[in-house]
Amino acid sequence: MHSLSRFLNKIRYLLQETFLGLRRGGWLNWAAVSTLLVLLFLVGIGVELSRGVDATVQSLGGQLEISVYLEPERRGVDLQPQVAQLPHVAEVRVITKEQAWRDLLLEMGIQDEAALETQLGDNPLVDALRVKADSAEILGQVAEQIRQLEGVDEVYYGDRIVEQLAQIQEVLRLGSLSITGVLALTAVAVITTTIRLVVMARRREIEVMQLVGATATWIYLPFILQGCLFGVVSALGAWGLVLGSQQLLQEALEQLIALPFLKVMQADPGQAEFWFLPLLLLGMGVFLGTSSSLIAVRKSAGRWF
Amino acid sequence: MLGQHIGYAPRLHPWAGTAPNPSLLVPTDPETTLGLYRKPQTGSLPALGSAESMVSLRGVSKVFPNGNWVFRDVNLEVRRGEFVFVTGVSGAGKSTLLRLLYGAEQATEGTVIVDGVCLFSSEGRRRPYRIPPRPLAMLRRRLGVVFQDYRLLANRTLAENVAFVLRAQGLSPAEIRRRLGPTLKMVGLTEKRDCFPDELSGGEQQRLSLARAIVNMPVLLLADEPTGNLDRENSLLVLQILERLNSFGVTILMTSHDPYLVERAGHRVVRLEGGHLYDMR
Repeated sequence: MHSLSRFLNKIRYLLQETFLGLRRGGWLNWAAVSTLLVLLFLVGIGVELSRGVDATVQSLGGQLEISVYLEPERRGVDLQPQVAQLPHVAEVRVITKEQAWRDLLLEMGIQDEAALETQLGDNPLVDALRVKADSAEILGQVAEQIRQLEGVDEVYYGDRIVEQLAQIQEVLRLGSLSITGVLALTAVAVITTTIRLVVMARRREIEVMQLVGATATWIYLPFILQGCLFGVVSALGAWGLVLGSQQLLQEALEQLIALPFLKVMQADPGQAEFWFLPLLLLGMGVFLGTSSSLIAVRKSAGRWF
Repeated sequence: MLGQHIGYAPRLHPWAGTAPNPSLLVPTDPETTLGLYRKPQTGSLPALGSAESMVSLRGVSKVFPNGNWVFRDVNLEVRRGEFVFVTGVSGAGKSTLLRLLYGAEQATEGTVIVDGVCLFSSEGRRRPYRIPPRPLAMLRRRLGVVFQDYRLLANRTLAENVAFVLRAQGLSPAEIRRRLGPTLKMVGLTEKRDCFPDELSGGEQQRLSLARAIVNMPVLLLADEPTGNLDRENSLLVLQILERLNSFGVTILMTSHDPYLVERAGHRVVRLEGGHLYDMR
């Protein structure tokens, strides 16, 4: 009972002193929180974006096909069982040159086959196979195997899209890493300055406290807590902004990158994945806030003790 | 004998009930005290670091980083319950001497022991022992320090200034309220408890700083020129309060360069001159 009341007394002291520190900080609190908030918001957007790209790559795996064009005299049905036997091949569809010709004509808007034949002469197309692999990463390997087969003229697959996505991923990673680095330094500088100014403003009190035997922990823990609080507030704010801007982000993505199938992940709170981002932001915020205030008081704490 | 806390005899004064547990007064951690306080000592004079002794300086020298000597080979024994004046001209090192005792300054050589706790010792060691921060903080809770310039918190009321000390030591608000009344009464400032320091006269400010120094019931009070800024009447008032504390058993070490005050008080006097300490009376 006694130790509980002592514990509560300590908690009350810490909260009161932390609040006092916030009051002394004035507008500097805002500077610290907003810097950290911008940083965490950008981190959040970066994470959301790269998750979107990852998910797109994943879902493309099922959609991407290998187009195999055969030599002119070969028939697709002859080659189909051979291709189907290759490892990682999920599905093989034959598109005969007649079928392809008809599709092409339809696409060109020509309905009258007889008229067209007189214009273009014989069907110039070849038989083709549409091959699906069981995953997107294996696509290149399967395509290579098919290319080795006799009677295969050309092999195409969606390597351009995959490459583009990989590039986007790379740019995202580099960009967010460098922005995070620069902004993290700024945030540390601002928070350190804020806490240091609060320490300066309370220099007289700290002197008296040291004189009457207050421990360094007792004196400086409120300042550390203040930094930690900056982190928590910024993380919550940043998360709110990320959630609020998801729709905007989706639209911006579609316009900027012109990849309509690129999706921003909309996880639901039931999933563990949903909590990954807030926890990441909270962790980063608390770490940056706490370590900045540690840096700020380390000097004074070291000098006096 | 060991661990016995002379002073604060329970029936003598109103705040006896809140006196610190005597068993806590002599730390048992040999590392913080070099084990010196444990040595049994006999003889007419209290031996170094014995339970009888409140302050022990042995062969203490202090050199400032710029190479200036403040004092050389100073020896001083202050017994528990003594009242000692430290005199000397300005710059003789009176303040530095007090600063050594509450750990704001480190000696260069020698041994400094206060209330059984060794703050510094270079004896028999290649690297001198310095008291770590935490034991120093714990020692300071048993000391009271008063300055010539009061060092009050201008943005806090009188009562808050005194309560601040207890709050800094982690006491509960109820405990703080309980101790505040008797302390303010002792220095005669009960009426002005809600005034800010700049609304007080110089004498009142000094009495406030005295209240702050004694509210945690120190065993040793270090007063650095507490009457330096005061007129004769207020000086005597401060001296009276100190003597009253001394009658409760608080050891007092006070620096002063006011010969009248020193003469009138009739307590033990030591004088710092040319870096040496002389026992005058």
